[in-house]
Amino acid sequence: MSHLHLSFYSAFILSSLGLAFHRTHLISALLCLESMMLSMYVALAMWPIQMQSPSSTIIPIIMLTFSACEAGTGLALLVASTRTHGSDYLHNFNLLRC
Amino acid sequence: MMEFVLFLGLLFALGGLAVASNPSPYYGVVGLVVAAIAGGGWLVSLGFSFVSLMLVMVYLGGMLVVFVYSVSLAADPYPETWTDWGVVGYGFGMGLVVMVGLVVSGVFGLLTDVGTVNGAGLLSVRVDFSGAAVLYSEGAGFLLIGGWGLLLTLFVVLE
Repeated sequence: MSHLHLSFYSAFILSSLGLAFHRTHLISALLCLESMMLSMYVALAMWPIQMQSPSSTIIPIIMLTFSACEAGTGLALLVASTRTHGSDYLHNFNLLRC
Repeated sequence: MMEFVLFLGLLFALGGLAVASNPSPYYGVVGLVVAAIAGGGWLVSLGFSFVSLMLVMVYLGGMLVVFVYSVSLAADPYPETWTDWGVVGYGFGMGLVVMVGLVVSGVFGLLTDVGTVNGAGLLSVRVDFSGAAVLYSEGAGFLLIGGWGLLLTLFVVLE
């Protein structure tokens, strides 16, 4: 493994830990998801460099496109829940309370 | 020069740590900006300039701007800061977990070097530009599916 692989691997692990342990706000979980997408983009961009195959360059571009779709959908959910609950605190989302 | 690339890699991982242990979404966005700029600079140092430019313009200039507006909608007026003990504990704990995992799995004994995009001087056809051109010629199906997905997302967000 090269040291560059180590760098985005550890950034991905840290972001997924942050997603698992998000504390108060919904938007901090969405930010951790964005950081996971960023590390996956850099990881996918390493592939055409190391395999010297130009056609694989479209893969990170397409991934960025769909990550933008996902970020927009997540933010729309955030805005909708802020409108009904007044804030995006996670302890307010208790409709499925048993 | 090699130390600069290592420093950019370290900044990328530290930006990920800053996003994960953010005291408030305001500071999480700062960590994400640092990680995106470090990742873009790192791709440029490997010679992959088109992909890096796309990262900076689309990701930083498009998506993160929208995120910053949403953070201003949804975050609290008196945020915690980086020096609060809960935040430092989270950051230190997560960094420690990742470092222990890496040391135990024996990764540090296996590190090698990496090459660049075009190792033989200037070329008239570069890897990244010709790869992105594939998206418009043979990969036209990807282009159409991506555009269709974005259109659907527009309707999802508006509803």
